[in-house]
Amino acid sequence: MQGIVGVFSDLDSTVDAIESLKKMRAGDITVYSPAPRHEIEHVIAKGPSPVRRFTLIGGLLGATFGYWIPIWVSDYWPLVVGGKPVPSWVPYTIISFELMVLIGSLATVLGLFVNSRFPRITMTVGYDPRFSDGEFGVWVECPPDRQREVSGTLQKFGAAEVRGEA
Amino acid sequence: MATVVSPSPDSSPNIPSANIQLPAIQSYTQVNDEIIGTLRPTGKWFAGLGFAILCMLIGATAWTYQIYMGLGVAGYTPPVMWGVYIVTFVFWVGIGHAGTLISAILYLFRAGFRTTIYRCAEAMTVFAVMTAGLFPILHLGRPWKFFYLIPYPNWRLIWPQFKSPLVWDVFAILTYLTVSATFLYIGLVPDLAAMRDREKHPVRKQIYSVLSLGWRNSDREWRHFARAYLFLAAFSTPLVLSVHSVVSFDFAMSLVPGWHATLFAPYFVAGAIFSGIGMVFTIIIPVRRWFNLKKYVTINHLDAAAKLCLFTSLVVGTAYLVEFFIGWYSGSEFEHSYWWDRVFGQWWWAAWIMLLCNCVLPLTLFSQKLRRNTTWLFMLSIFINLGMWFERFVIFEPSLSHEFEPWQWTAYAPTYIDWAILLGSFGFFSMWFLLFIKNLPIIAISEVKEIVPPPVRAPHKVEGINVSGMHLEFEPETPGERD
Repeated sequence: MQGIVGVFSDLDSTVDAIESLKKMRAGDITVYSPAPRHEIEHVIAKGPSPVRRFTLIGGLLGATFGYWIPIWVSDYWPLVVGGKPVPSWVPYTIISFELMVLIGSLATVLGLFVNSRFPRITMTVGYDPRFSDGEFGVWVECPPDRQREVSGTLQKFGAAEVRGEA
Repeated sequence: MATVVSPSPDSSPNIPSANIQLPAIQSYTQVNDEIIGTLRPTGKWFAGLGFAILCMLIGATAWTYQIYMGLGVAGYTPPVMWGVYIVTFVFWVGIGHAGTLISAILYLFRAGFRTTIYRCAEAMTVFAVMTAGLFPILHLGRPWKFFYLIPYPNWRLIWPQFKSPLVWDVFAILTYLTVSATFLYIGLVPDLAAMRDREKHPVRKQIYSVLSLGWRNSDREWRHFARAYLFLAAFSTPLVLSVHSVVSFDFAMSLVPGWHATLFAPYFVAGAIFSGIGMVFTIIIPVRRWFNLKKYVTINHLDAAAKLCLFTSLVVGTAYLVEFFIGWYSGSEFEHSYWWDRVFGQWWWAAWIMLLCNCVLPLTLFSQKLRRNTTWLFMLSIFINLGMWFERFVIFEPSLSHEFEPWQWTAYAPTYIDWAILLGSFGFFSMWFLLFIKNLPIIAISEVKEIVPPPVRAPHKVEGINVSGMHLEFEPETPGERD
């Protein structure tokens, strides 16, 4: 992986640079920011996060498992009282609800890990500790023949520092 | 994830609690400097930790003595076989409710004042539920058999009774502990990355690196993080309401006078939230003073939280009135007798402490002056903690000591073993909390950054920011949630 990273000290310069780089089709862009910002989200314009599918599947599995276990146990060791059906779904709803929340929540975390590629053992190229402090970063993954053009764009929009990394 | 709720300064001057701006915070770097700066241990902190451990050891010694001598040392007087341990179990579970209320429910409601107090409340939740989890085990004569509660089959393939409220309780409490701890940890990840990037000590840096999972603040990570956080909040919201409802079923499913009421689930939930907010005040007011965090937890934040406290107090007071009314309206002589004994009989002192602390004193919060007086808020929070412990005492002991048969009526008095273990539980909780506040940020760094105006070259060009760097309008969504 090789490309150029630009370090910006203000938000609007970062946003302007991203807009310009997207128009240039310079390459894959990753933006680093100390906090999530609407402005960056709008200009990056990525699609919906797939984490929600993990949540839905986890919640459904948990709810189903939470009904299945007590129903199976009731039928496995039946205590018939007055000829009534052995499984009693009303109290089992509590077990089902709790397992829906538990497994749904853990599946959500799994979704976050899978989609964000956690845990990451080593920091990827282009990252700088300043991005968790107060600075913004724009990393553009591009081939060597386009690096000069990308560097020029980042500098034009006021990057405090521009460097190539590989 | 913070939400920006910020009317412009001149639009609502008469509602100071609606203004959650942090005017003294000028930059992202300042946020990192000041919040991470609170993590340096001090002599007073070591003294506090030592005192908490001492209290915990007193409790542990009492428990060891109880295991050796048997449960008879714990003041149980048949038929009163649920004593201080179950009272304190419900008390701590209740304390654990405010954390998730503030971090999840207020997040979904976009209540901006939660931003700087929710981390403290979330940590409080996890440690309170850990403390609560000790009490069912303390309550067992043979605590090493606690695993009978865990739902798995024994060697004859007999499972626990899934229709029992005690089994529901195990599911509810373990789910709540797991989800609350997960919610706390996921919210901490960006802050751990900020600490990793600043840390110079190689061992600490390595620990923060592992804990932060390789977080880089990239747009991809923020997008998935915001979505995951929203769903965790959405799951946690009904969970908060369900957990204390399930705890209340331990009592309401029985036929005991005073317990057998459909009111119990909402009554317990409202009481839990009220007590939890009381404990948040008990913790956050000294913390903001000792750590010099008044710029972050402003008086407006406390004012808004005090309004929530007042509201929940009114709900709890209404529940007490409904309880009295239903007792009278039932037409049952057992209920009448029980209620008379509870309010004017042998338990009058406990009932009136409860009413004074939970219903009368919080009415002072109608006064804006008192809502903005931290000394009074702290004192009131102590009364609320006391009142809510007595609420559980008043629910359990008078009922058990005054059931259907007059020859069974008895008294109940906790012994010094009960009190020592109660003290030990406060020591256990305080020890974990003190370790937390010196090792991890007590205020969410990344969320505070969301309400601090970002560094801009031309303020008017950035969405929602005016020329003086103030947010202009209510943001309906947190970044990352737009899909």
